[in-house]
Amino acid sequence: MVIIGENIHVIAKTVSTAIRERNAKVIQELAQAQAKAGADYIDLNVGPMKKDPEETMQWLVNTVQEVVDLPLSIDTMNPVAMEAGLKACKKRPLLNSASGKTESKELMLPLAKKYNCDVVISVMTDKGMPPDVDSKVESILDTVAYANELGIPNEDIWVDPIVLPVSTAGEGQRFAVACLEFIRILQDVLPGVKSTVGLSNVSNGVPTELRPLLNRTYLIMLQRHGLYSAIADPLDEELMKLVRGEMPKIVDLIGKVMDKEEVDLSRLTPQEVNYVKTAKVLLGETLYSDAWLET
Amino acid sequence: MEYKAPVESYSGVVREVVIGTGGKSLKIGGENILPFHFFDQGSNPNPPKYALEVVDMKPDDLPEHAVEPFRDVISDPVKWAKKCETFGVDAVSLFLMSTDPAVRDGSADAAARLVKEVAEAINVPLIVYGSGDEKKDVEVLSKVAETCRGMNLLVGPVVKENYETVGRAILDNGHAAIAQTPLDINLLKELNVKLSKFFPPERIVIDPLSSALGYGMEYSFSLIERVKQIGIMTRDSMTMMPIIANLGGECWKTKQAKESKKQGLLWEGITALSLLLAGANIVVLRHPETLGLIRETLEAR
Repeated sequence: MVIIGENIHVIAKTVSTAIRERNAKVIQELAQAQAKAGADYIDLNVGPMKKDPEETMQWLVNTVQEVVDLPLSIDTMNPVAMEAGLKACKKRPLLNSASGKTESKELMLPLAKKYNCDVVISVMTDKGMPPDVDSKVESILDTVAYANELGIPNEDIWVDPIVLPVSTAGEGQRFAVACLEFIRILQDVLPGVKSTVGLSNVSNGVPTELRPLLNRTYLIMLQRHGLYSAIADPLDEELMKLVRGEMPKIVDLIGKVMDKEEVDLSRLTPQEVNYVKTAKVLLGETLYSDAWLET
Repeated sequence: MEYKAPVESYSGVVREVVIGTGGKSLKIGGENILPFHFFDQGSNPNPPKYALEVVDMKPDDLPEHAVEPFRDVISDPVKWAKKCETFGVDAVSLFLMSTDPAVRDGSADAAARLVKEVAEAINVPLIVYGSGDEKKDVEVLSKVAETCRGMNLLVGPVVKENYETVGRAILDNGHAAIAQTPLDINLLKELNVKLSKFFPPERIVIDPLSSALGYGMEYSFSLIERVKQIGIMTRDSMTMMPIIANLGGECWKTKQAKESKKQGLLWEGITALSLLLAGANIVVLRHPETLGLIRETLEAR
């Protein structure tokens, strides 16, 4: 599993301030911590970047490259900032991200070709977010076909089904199930493509202390269905251990839940019980509530 | 080949909640079948129940045609409740509107005395709704529970913000609780989980909030339907409680119900029927003629 470290993200106040003030130290420490924790890529999420996109992105890329050797994932909706970022990268970067939206097809996808980089393509289209498996498949087939015509091979494409919060009343659990299923069938639909998810979004809106458990469980479930990479928090030690195969018992247990095998909770440790309960929520088997571990 | 209609059976059973005591007790819920699925396996030992609502002060926003059946008793909640009985209700629901700090900020003591008087005057169980002000309700509902100790009233709304204190008072004084959440199934389950840690789930009735036709009824419908399905079909213990649809007040607030009597009755009637079809176990109505209309519709099947 390729882990793209998510921690350099403008939504974090420290990051946005550091970028604005050109405080290299803050950014470099975040990059180094993630590299040390085992991240494979460092994501640079700068949002829409309305002010000085080129200069800011160059600064950010160079700042990070001064201290880490990892390839970068350039994460912005702004095509000017994107091009500046890709241009500045020493290692083959990941363009994060393009989609089936007309604007993205016209401005982002050609950049992936021009700079010969890997590219995340989400299932989003002009019509919005396709909610179920069929509509996700339909939209990604269209967009990947378009990318292929531009000369981008499947092997360079990292498909993103768009993970949504599981806690969204009424439909969050359906979305979680749909993404799992999408990843499961992706290789049959588009042989050779890679895949990625913005993992932490699955636990958006959930009480902070409970978020890591949802993120970890969901990642293991997606990994079991063949997920290639995830934009996630490499500083979550347990997450990294799970995904690197250092906690095989938990991984097996989650597998059993996915296979609908009977699991005897009375024989499990509290930690294992929590993973089982969480997996059942993510499979839509038990109704989500913030108190899902308490029943 | 002969066609054989598929017959479903279900694994979940809605808990049966008993309210009232002795000869005037009422059972709500207890079904192991989806609402009105006569063709499936399972049964509902306690088909839909009906309550009429009494307000503890003359509601000034009610149109004339809604006041009419109770004109002579509208300023006397005890007589109003007794008059409800004459329409063949299964329960009376007393709404303590006057205790709302934004209305009259009436005292908890006075409210509790009135509740007791009403409960003693009628021969059907009493449902009590506080004003919905989560802070004032702590005081009012606790006092009501205490004053009416042992009468097994159905008391609410118990909400996320006050479930610990109000729930405790209801439990310690031998009543049943209405757990209310704002149209969100995840929050609904969460409140039931938290409440059930100290409150017996077989004494909880779910109030998912009922909106009137044209004012969000479809949200209430979907939610009630989903709660039922999850309880009956997937046996989620924390949704296997009966559901109360407290809709009369909401319906008579609408412009349409205020315009004409016929429209008002239909507005309340269609809302009630819809929520019963979704799975409500007891409905709280305002107008006795609506009650007649629904009974006629459902029982003449």
